[in-house]
Amino acid sequence: MIARIAAGDRAAFGALYDATSAKLHAVCLSILKDRPEAEETLQEVYLRVWQGAARYAVNGLSPMTWLITIARNRAIDRLRARGSRPIAVVNSRDPLAPDLAETLPSAEPGPEAAAIASQQRRMLADCLAQLSDPQAGAVRAVYLEGWSYADLAAREGMPINTVRSWLRRSLLRLKDCVDQ
Amino acid sequence: MTIDDGSLTGPEADHALAAEFALGLLEGDELQIARDRMAVDAVFAAEVRMWQERLAELALALTPVMAPARARHAVRERLGHSVAPLSVDPADRVPVWRGSAGWLTGLAVAAALAVAVFSPALRSPQDRDGQQTETAGYRARLVSDDNALRVDAQISGREMQVTLQAGAAAQGRDLEIWWIDPDLAAPVSLGLLPAAGGMRMSLPGELEPGADIRIALSDEPAGGSPTGQATGPIVAIAPFTSL
Repeated sequence: MIARIAAGDRAAFGALYDATSAKLHAVCLSILKDRPEAEETLQEVYLRVWQGAARYAVNGLSPMTWLITIARNRAIDRLRARGSRPIAVVNSRDPLAPDLAETLPSAEPGPEAAAIASQQRRMLADCLAQLSDPQAGAVRAVYLEGWSYADLAAREGMPINTVRSWLRRSLLRLKDCVDQ
Repeated sequence: MTIDDGSLTGPEADHALAAEFALGLLEGDELQIARDRMAVDAVFAAEVRMWQERLAELALALTPVMAPARARHAVRERLGHSVAPLSVDPADRVPVWRGSAGWLTGLAVAAALAVAVFSPALRSPQDRDGQQTETAGYRARLVSDDNALRVDAQISGREMQVTLQAGAAAQGRDLEIWWIDPDLAAPVSLGLLPAAGGMRMSLPGELEPGADIRIALSDEPAGGSPTGQATGPIVAIAPFTSL
């Protein structure tokens, strides 16, 4: 499908959008925690997909990982440009807004995710479970919410270098585990 | 930022660096060096990709959140695809008129709504008959607190008919229809309630009818919510019941 998009196939692009936009929107929202910004970022992601599809073949990633990586990078760029992170996330004017917990990543994969769970997925989840809760939580916060080392240091009340050393150890443990 | 973990050996430091790069944790010179290294160091690049693939599993486990239809249209417009539609996806029928109505005003809104409200009714009712016979039907009766507004919503298969029985939006306002699914992170807009009569739509693929679904009407500025989420008060909400 991405090859068709690279060839300028608008129908394929539309189909890709329909199949993936809710997931990528969730990624943007998870990081940005702001609806209008997530929506704007989502648009940028698909502009990039359209423009970058020709280069996709050489990057070696699976299609969904490629899309997620673009979405995550764009959202984090925007988050870093913003400088500060909003604490209150739910728009109080929105009477239908679900509890924030519903839009935040859950440790439990949803039914859809479970259905397509690969051996790899189970292994990553298993390996995260083998880390301590703070370690696993930090990996999730960095990946799913775009935390920086400075954010982690502020949260943990530790110097940045200490936090970095601690997280690098966690990542190496994770790697050892998934490599087994 | 300096690395304060001299105990990491060379390969370990490389492994950690690949993970940090994949996570977006590197900054400044370190980021630039890692980027350059991606181009020339195949082992490093493969390790970064491994992390990206593994970590993507966390993203895949997120609950999907439908973006407002106008995002799709904005992408199309920004790519200059607005003349030829992105696709002929049936889900497009619902959003099209809502998205286009958002920036129109006055008579233009009325004209756009008239086209939008009636064209789905002309195109969609018959094309999914096969599914209709297999799938249960549902109905919701929406009534405002003062009983002035009454709207019926009925689902057959993947077609939904929304009918205004009594009442109207306030002057200069529109009533927006929301689909509330406990499994979706946010309510999904189904567009604006027509000023009179009824409308028929095909449910977008992500929406699964069921008895745990509720439907709501919110009071919005003309053209619908500017944010993609309800901004005004909910004037009526009701669960779907199985027919």
